[in-house]
Amino acid sequence: MAHRILIAESDTGMQACLRFLMEREGHVVEVVGDGEAALAAMTARPPDLTLLAVDLGKRDGYDLCQTCRNAPDLTAMKVVMVTARTRTVDRDKGLALGADDYIAKPFSNADLVERVTALLAGGPDR
Amino acid sequence: MGIRQRLAWVFGILAVAVAGLIIAVILSVRGTGDGWRDLLAVYGGMAALAAVAAVAIGWFMVDRLLAGPMTSLARSLRMALRANPDHRYDPEEAGNLGELSAAASDVLDALARHGTALDSQIEVATNAMKTEKARLESVLRDLHEGVIICNLNHRVLLYNHRALELLGSGGELGLGRSLFDFTNRQPFFHALERLTTRLLDGRSQERGLTVPIIAATADGGTTFEGKMTLLLDEDGNPASYLVTLDDRTDELAELGRRDALLRDATDGIRRPLASLSSAAEILAEVSDLETGDRRIFEQVVADESRNLCARIEELSSEFQEIIASHWPMTDVYSANVLNTVVRRLREEKGIEGVMTGMPHWFHGDSYTLVETMHHLIHNIHDSTDADSFDIEAVPAGDYVHIDISWSGHAVSGTTLDGWLDDRLDDALGGITVRGVLERHRTDLWNLPASNGRARIRLPLPTGRSPEEAGGEALPNRPEFYDFDLIAHDADLGELGAQPLKSLTYVVFDTETTGLKPSEGDEIISIAGVRVVNGRILTGESFSRLVNPNREIPKASIRFHGITDEMVTDQPGALTVLPEFHDYVKGAVLVAHNAAFDMRFLKLKEPSLGLVFNNPVLDTLLLSAVLHNHTSKHTLDDIAERLGVGIEPEARHTALGDSLVTASVFLHLIELLEADGITTLDEAVKVANTAVHVRKLQEQF
Repeated sequence: MAHRILIAESDTGMQACLRFLMEREGHVVEVVGDGEAALAAMTARPPDLTLLAVDLGKRDGYDLCQTCRNAPDLTAMKVVMVTARTRTVDRDKGLALGADDYIAKPFSNADLVERVTALLAGGPDR
Repeated sequence: MGIRQRLAWVFGILAVAVAGLIIAVILSVRGTGDGWRDLLAVYGGMAALAAVAAVAIGWFMVDRLLAGPMTSLARSLRMALRANPDHRYDPEEAGNLGELSAAASDVLDALARHGTALDSQIEVATNAMKTEKARLESVLRDLHEGVIICNLNHRVLLYNHRALELLGSGGELGLGRSLFDFTNRQPFFHALERLTTRLLDGRSQERGLTVPIIAATADGGTTFEGKMTLLLDEDGNPASYLVTLDDRTDELAELGRRDALLRDATDGIRRPLASLSSAAEILAEVSDLETGDRRIFEQVVADESRNLCARIEELSSEFQEIIASHWPMTDVYSANVLNTVVRRLREEKGIEGVMTGMPHWFHGDSYTLVETMHHLIHNIHDSTDADSFDIEAVPAGDYVHIDISWSGHAVSGTTLDGWLDDRLDDALGGITVRGVLERHRTDLWNLPASNGRARIRLPLPTGRSPEEAGGEALPNRPEFYDFDLIAHDADLGELGAQPLKSLTYVVFDTETTGLKPSEGDEIISIAGVRVVNGRILTGESFSRLVNPNREIPKASIRFHGITDEMVTDQPGALTVLPEFHDYVKGAVLVAHNAAFDMRFLKLKEPSLGLVFNNPVLDTLLLSAVLHNHTSKHTLDDIAERLGVGIEPEARHTALGDSLVTASVFLHLIELLEADGITTLDEAVKVANTAVHVRKLQEQF
């Protein structure tokens, strides 16, 4: 089933990979390169799921995650953080601020796709 | 007047008196014309002359043979004492004083011998002191560390050359000057406070009186790492402190660079690597890739590979400049740090801080953490008007979470992030909150509100308690079967219908000389902690040693660590138990194996003139009700089953066991509620059934 996916990622190589993986699953993909643009895109066209990097320009991923968790229009949106920050505290922080899943870079494509699919299918949070 | 003059006077007067007497007799019989009377006058005159001569001879003899030698003996004794110790009275002259002069000689000889011995002893001791002093001076001079000794007013009592070099920038380091003319204050206050607290708590025996310290020069230009040791006087009271300091500015700066580098190495490499591996995986596994797409991913692989190579080159060249060392951090007991924060908030800002929950060990630098928490809470107070905060240390795997909560609205993530760049006052040349967090390899964030309370979380790496490395497990106190003591028909009154969660509890524990109060065993320690609204108020605890007025059996000491010396100066049960009675007023008492502790209290009631009639709950019995599938209900068993972390240091002290029991009790309340047991009445009722079951079991 096709879903709307927002990719918030500043690295263009990563953008291409994530876009390809999501489109291959049949999803409709929108890509933004910084935090402000991501918030604007979410507000204008609420996606079903956002793949969110932490090190974004303008607003960082944690901040964005916390902000959109407090936005009533976005309660249904799933957030998956995809980031190079891999300490336990970073992960704890992401989940505490409302991310549904936290994927450390580098990741296996198959694993990422599987976890996104599970979330979209209404699978268990976290 | 000397003795000789006095003798001369005495004999002169005597001669005049005798002669006068005779002349007076002659005059009285003269002039009668009788021949025999004239004759008598002539003889009388001659007799008077003879008497005067005899007195004169007597004086001469006494003066010559006794008074003269005595005077010269006295003179020569004085000469021997004051001028020439070898001078002796000439024995030829002394003949008539006989034994006296010989004895005087002996005394002088003995005196001379002692004097010589004393002189040589003093000389030996002085030399030894000189050697020691020279050795100490050379040790101090050659030490790489700066050494300073200060009195408790921070006046310098002693310093070495290295200290002068390190601190010289603040002016001339000198005796009697304040240490704070040269260094920043807070780290020293903080370290001294930690040490005095440790001394007062009686923990100096096992932990020593030295703590690490990180300080900076007054101008913030140089950072030191060192140790502070509290020096005690003969009575065991703090008298002064010794600080050893070493310049760490370069190492710390370098370590900072290394940490940044490591962060770059991991994060900075992960990003290009992620794209690379993802693109490579697509190229490898997707066979039906269109030429255009294939071209894109090949380009990604090529670009990111180049990025990676360049990044690695950069890293390795930077890395070579960096020396390996460590951040100066130690294992810290959360209670000490949080207590300091609470005290400072109260004293400096009038903000109420409440330490709740069990204390835990974490790894960090207590001084910068105190500054950080103090700063955060102060900021929250300013931006939300909240003036009462709970601070709790919660263990979570490799981390201990410091959770700060308050009643009111939350602080936004953006605001919180903004505070990270605040500089901490007077700390280490203006390190930022972010700097402290990075040094502890951690972060901080908002948690979702709970029970209307906003929360932030600061995780810290888990530390090890000093006892954790070793230490045998102690056998548990035998379960006490005199259940009647707690199943007594306490008047639950209005409390009975109250929900368990809303009640005020005092969870307590005692340590005793033995297991048999009726055979003379006594309480030697009693402690309790208040639990209100599901929060353990660690800051409002009661903890006293009690003089049992009897010997503490050696065999029992390994259970409680309390020795005779520790209780001799403590008040007895008749003083402490009334205080405890006041402390528990209006609260429900909770203890593990409560019958044991209650029996000791009950036996004291007649002599106290008080009654402990509070409702009592027993965690052992509640556990037996809730977990009837197992017979393991020791405090350790239950704590493990409920996932309550136990600090080994805390066990087997009255306060430590109270805290563990309190933590266990809060979990048990949750479980009771899940079973539909929500009021005190109901809890007491199920505990009573457990008593009956166990009584039955006992019969078999």
